[in-house]
Amino acid sequence: MQLKKLDAVSFEEVIYDNCEACLVVFSRKSCHVCQEIISIIEDLLEKYEGKLGFYYIDVEQNKDLYKRFSLRGVPQILFFYGGEYKGKLVGQVEEEDVEAKIVEIL
Amino acid sequence: MMSSNYDLIIIGGGPAGLTSAIYGGRAKIKTLVINKGSFGGLIYSTREIVNYPGHEKDSGPALMSTFKKHAENVGTELIKDEVVEVDFSRREKIITTKNGREFTAKAVILACGTQPRVLNIPGEKRLRGNGVAYCATCDAEFFEDEHVVVVGSGDQAIEEGMYITKFASKVTVIVLHDEGILDCNKISAEKAFSNEKMNFVWNSTIEEVLGEFNVDGVQIKNLKTGVSSQLACQGVFFFVGTVPSTGFLKDSGLQYNQNGYIPVNDLMETNIEGVYAAGDNRVKYLRQVVSAAGDGATAAVAAERYIEELNYFQKIILGSNIPVLLLFFKPLVAESLQFGTLLEEVASEIGERYKIIKVDMSTKKSIAEKYGIKEVPAVVLLNKGEVIKLLDCSIDKESLNLQL
Repeated sequence: MQLKKLDAVSFEEVIYDNCEACLVVFSRKSCHVCQEIISIIEDLLEKYEGKLGFYYIDVEQNKDLYKRFSLRGVPQILFFYGGEYKGKLVGQVEEEDVEAKIVEIL
Repeated sequence: MMSSNYDLIIIGGGPAGLTSAIYGGRAKIKTLVINKGSFGGLIYSTREIVNYPGHEKDSGPALMSTFKKHAENVGTELIKDEVVEVDFSRREKIITTKNGREFTAKAVILACGTQPRVLNIPGEKRLRGNGVAYCATCDAEFFEDEHVVVVGSGDQAIEEGMYITKFASKVTVIVLHDEGILDCNKISAEKAFSNEKMNFVWNSTIEEVLGEFNVDGVQIKNLKTGVSSQLACQGVFFFVGTVPSTGFLKDSGLQYNQNGYIPVNDLMETNIEGVYAAGDNRVKYLRQVVSAAGDGATAAVAAERYIEELNYFQKIILGSNIPVLLLFFKPLVAESLQFGTLLEEVASEIGERYKIIKVDMSTKKSIAEKYGIKEVPAVVLLNKGEVIKLLDCSIDKESLNLQL
């Protein structure tokens, strides 16, 4: 299963209008670590489907968004709950770290 | 738990692993590649490849997608998963993945590649992704009009540093050596020296990355004077070499050098029979796509011959109803050929009591090794795969008759 892609408009809708509990991976196609992180997260998708939204943003196409969150590199996994930013995980993280964070916000 | 048996399993889907996969697929041996993340390895993050023959200019992802497609088209299976444990203690190698799958293989090629070295200085880990970075392709863009420090002076450090100048207002390279000395190639050094945005701090090393939530500076130590100073910056890119991604192999009995790289011979054989290492994770001089591909080809052909020997052995030798005489010879050793003729003569005179199997030791090395045979001629008498005895191989008909 795959992550759903967001752009600036759908990002607003999902996070702030629908207040969806979700994680958003900021990544770049040419980033090797990003691809590893995405495949780790795809493995978690099935388990948390229905409870948590799984999204990604291509930073190349959405400069304003990474600037808004003052991001300084990819991959970064940002967590949101009830329209609020709940923290992030940075760089080459393990599946356990991601899952622990998911459990924490839900 | 799902279990699947393969002839050849390749761990790692970079240039070495995918080349092995192409050779394995074409040799019609049942081949599986296990790779975590996206196929392509470290080269996936490379913007430009200009030295792979036949591709004057290509990008890492584009070149690797052709490798991958090629491997798939010749019938190799590729899966996304991470190997967490291996058992190389028996002839049938066992590989366990993070998703709980278990695979067995007759031969394994380790093509796990490398990852950037972490210096483990204060602040480095804590500020990773908040100013500390290891990949310019991935992260340079986040430092538009800012000051970036680059640590290292090898090809990668200088070339990536130059790339960062496209975004950053200033790039300062921290170099261990005396003024004017860089570890990189000459062309890159000249380009770097003539780039206005590139600055150098000589004879120095980095002690600490500073900043509470984001990087706001680095502490640098001058190795000649011993004086430490601070330099304000918003980003730090580390290019201080790589370490092999072979951590999961630590209890496998595999030999490493002191840096964790796997030593191999010309055939890419490791110290464990049936286990090969190819590409960046082995001890080698040049780590490039072209040399990784070369390794991958060698390892796959060596593995294929090894598998063929195993299959041959199992089918013919262990499956025989009558005792087997395993005759080791070398085509260039006349005495071994002569003894072979004598053995056949004697065996046919005493009737159909033995099956003679000739093993050319110059190509079927692993069978010879299994029985500790170092010189030819040599004969091992086997019954249902069990060693009964070694024969004395002097060219003497009477002596041979007595032994049989």
